[in-house]
Amino acid sequence: MTVTRWLVIALAAAVLGSADPSRPVEVTAVARDGRINVSCVLAGVRLDELDEPIRAGLTTSITFDADLRRPLWWFDRTMASASVVASVRHDTLTGRYQLTRTIDGRTDDTLVTNDAGAARKFLAGFARLALFSTADLQPNVEYLVLVKVRTRPRVAWSFWPWESGAVSGSARFTFIP
Amino acid sequence: MAVLRRSPPAPSVTPGGASSQARARRRPFRDNPILLLLGILGLIALLAGTMTLASRSNRLSPDFLSEVVLYALSVVDVTMLVALVFVLARSVIKILVERRRGLPFARFRAKLVIALLAMTLVPAVLVLGVGSELILTSVDRWFNAPMDEILGSAQRIASDYYRERQRQVSDEAARLARSLGPLDLGKADVGPVRDVVAPAVADLLAGLVEVYRAPRPTEPAGVPVSVVDVASPTMPFVVSRASADGLASRAMADQPDAWLREPLDSGGELIRAAAPIRRADGAVAGAVVASLHLTGDMEQRARRMTKAYESYNQLRVMKQPLTGVYLSFFLMMTLMILVGASWMGLYLAKRITRPVQRIASAAKEIGAGHFEHRVEPETSDEFGSLVEAFNSMADELAGNRQRLEQSTHELERKHSEVEERRRFTEAVLERVATGVVTIDETGRITTINPAALRLLGLAASVVGEPAATVFGAADLQPLAAFALARGAGAKDPHPQELSLTRDGREVALAVASTRLHTEGGAADGRVLVVDDITPLIRAQKVAAWREVARRLAHEIKNPLTPIQLCAQRLQRQFATSPDHVRALVDECTTTIVGEVDALKALVDEFSQFARMPAARREPTDLHELLRRTLALYDGLFERVRIETLFAVDVPRVRLDPDQVRRVIINLIDNAVEAMSQEGQIVIETQHDPAAAVVRVIIADNGPGIAPGDRDKLFMPYFSTKKRGSGLGLAIVRRIVAEHGGTIEVGDNQPSGTRFTMELPCEPDGAGLTGAV
Repeated sequence: MTVTRWLVIALAAAVLGSADPSRPVEVTAVARDGRINVSCVLAGVRLDELDEPIRAGLTTSITFDADLRRPLWWFDRTMASASVVASVRHDTLTGRYQLTRTIDGRTDDTLVTNDAGAARKFLAGFARLALFSTADLQPNVEYLVLVKVRTRPRVAWSFWPWESGAVSGSARFTFIP
Repeated sequence: MAVLRRSPPAPSVTPGGASSQARARRRPFRDNPILLLLGILGLIALLAGTMTLASRSNRLSPDFLSEVVLYALSVVDVTMLVALVFVLARSVIKILVERRRGLPFARFRAKLVIALLAMTLVPAVLVLGVGSELILTSVDRWFNAPMDEILGSAQRIASDYYRERQRQVSDEAARLARSLGPLDLGKADVGPVRDVVAPAVADLLAGLVEVYRAPRPTEPAGVPVSVVDVASPTMPFVVSRASADGLASRAMADQPDAWLREPLDSGGELIRAAAPIRRADGAVAGAVVASLHLTGDMEQRARRMTKAYESYNQLRVMKQPLTGVYLSFFLMMTLMILVGASWMGLYLAKRITRPVQRIASAAKEIGAGHFEHRVEPETSDEFGSLVEAFNSMADELAGNRQRLEQSTHELERKHSEVEERRRFTEAVLERVATGVVTIDETGRITTINPAALRLLGLAASVVGEPAATVFGAADLQPLAAFALARGAGAKDPHPQELSLTRDGREVALAVASTRLHTEGGAADGRVLVVDDITPLIRAQKVAAWREVARRLAHEIKNPLTPIQLCAQRLQRQFATSPDHVRALVDECTTTIVGEVDALKALVDEFSQFARMPAARREPTDLHELLRRTLALYDGLFERVRIETLFAVDVPRVRLDPDQVRRVIINLIDNAVEAMSQEGQIVIETQHDPAAAVVRVIIADNGPGIAPGDRDKLFMPYFSTKKRGSGLGLAIVRRIVAEHGGTIEVGDNQPSGTRFTMELPCEPDGAGLTGAV
């Protein structure tokens, strides 16, 4: 493995924070009322590194790409996908944070606040978002919700940019109608 | 005949064919100027686009910059790197392969390529290293402490100003809300409310104050109702009420942060804050929305300061990606230059060496004999001229080769003709009876034919010896004058007839000598021609004797009959005469008649010799003829023993049996007479297939013949006997000569005479088994 590759990994880890390497992303999935409610918390990820781009007025976002999969060794196990983007834009003149969350491009929530902690909490995850339908699920079958998290903008650089730069977490659940 | 050899078939590549084939081929990319121009234009466009992108990099969105631009540049860099590695690896492999194959100019091309690559790679790598360091240093210098301080302070000033105005408006809204708390906002008279609000507007604590009350039960819930609004004259005419309504609602709902900034279309912006109006019991009776107008200049200055600060901070945040963009761009430029320069260097090396390689290869082909091989010119520059010159040289070579082949064929034909003539001449000289001796200008014998060897009694080893030595011998001394005349000024001796004694026999020779000349007229030796004219002289003598015999017979025979008749008449007339007279007459007439008879017999022989009938030859068994002839002598001579020694392979011979029988009888009679009818006679036959002759040898053991008499032996009227006409052996020789043969006489061993008669026989004549 080259030095560049190590640097890329180190920078990605710096962006997403150094946390519990075993569970950087805590994912919870609950099937209820015909929907699968997914909660995600960047428990092991430090978001301090995002403060600088946020304070610089850059629209900073964290993208949660969630996949609903069947935990089988199958050619394509993904049954459905959803993308949750939490973005923040800081007005340096007024010191206010404009927060927006979208699900598959649709605005789900907006918030304007002067509280940096509230903004960071807004970015750090979401709770009980109905991302998938249970219509295609089979009863008493275990499913997996995999969430990959990546940040924008990328403030690190390497000559070989094709690194994932993402952390992920997953949650298994058994669908019981 | 000279054999014309055809030249090998021409190779498939001919000048015309090569041109048509080359035209049929598609020109490679590297030699297509239009494609090259398009490629260069594409590269220039790519560079221009990349440079434009780089110049606008600070205005690009961070996501686009860090994900699209960086990825694109990385893709281009990797592609260029792969292309460079490919170009270099291909070149190295080609150079190694060419050197291993030993292609012409492989070493030169390798050196050229290495030099060009070194001239490209070394500066490019140096520029890349230095440039990268400069970029890194420059980027670091963008973000220094004074700049941070200046922009940070400016931003804080603007921010503090805004926050101060926002706090001022919020505080004024809260103060007015407290002042309006005791008032009944639901009354129709809004004068007291205006009285509370108006001083604040007049004191410019707020440019606009809007008072709302809580809706009555009959009114829509949650929607505040405007009571009064008081604005200063400096406020813009058009102000959005909706934002004020929203703020009032939020204030009445006790939500925090009930303030906002509202940009105005006319320039500037409003800072608006709301505060709930509470009664004494704490219930919310309404809300006050205070607005402060910031003029456009102020707002723009603050925004510009904030924007500059944000831009600076964003640049600092995006320092690494930006550095990556610049480094990637610089790397891309360097790689493009490297690839382009390497490719161009290789292309130039190829353009330089390829024509030379092709010419060298064509030279090998021509050296191998393929004179039709040509090099197709690919360019019209100096290399094209070189190729044209080479092709012209090849044309000349091909023409010369063709002319040379024609000359060679002509030379071979002439050589063949000369060789054929030489063989013919040699064959003629080998077979001819005339002796020919050539002597070079130095006086040495160069050639001598078998006839000359035989006539002059020389060995074949005389070739190369000085003629003076050879012809200086005593017996050949008469020929010396002919053989030794040398030099350009030497005159040809007149032909002469000479007589030499060879093996005890006198040989008559006709000798002539002629000078030889080269084409330039220089003396080139001499040729000596020797003819054996002995048979000719003999024939001439025989012819003369035959003429004499014919006339003699004619002149003598005529008077013989009258003489004989007269003698007989005298005998009859004197028959009655006295005895002594009659005896005398009888004696005389008898003598006359007897001598006349003898003269008649002699004349008959002469006449027979003169009128020898032509031989009637027919295939004859020679042995049978000999046996029947020898049978005549059975018991005739008791003391003569005749033996036969016949060869087994004697074929039939075409001869006149009567004449040959006469020859055999004549020779045997001579032998018997020579031996005085006592001795041994051996009859031997031989067959010589090589000479196509049959020999009949008759040998006796008598006293033999003196060497001086041998040449005269076959001449008419020569005889060693006391009685004889001397025509026997002359007739024998003539009969043998009529049969195309020869007869020679020699000594028999240990004593006696040996006649050897050679008669020609058919080469394919049937063989005959002879009894011994």
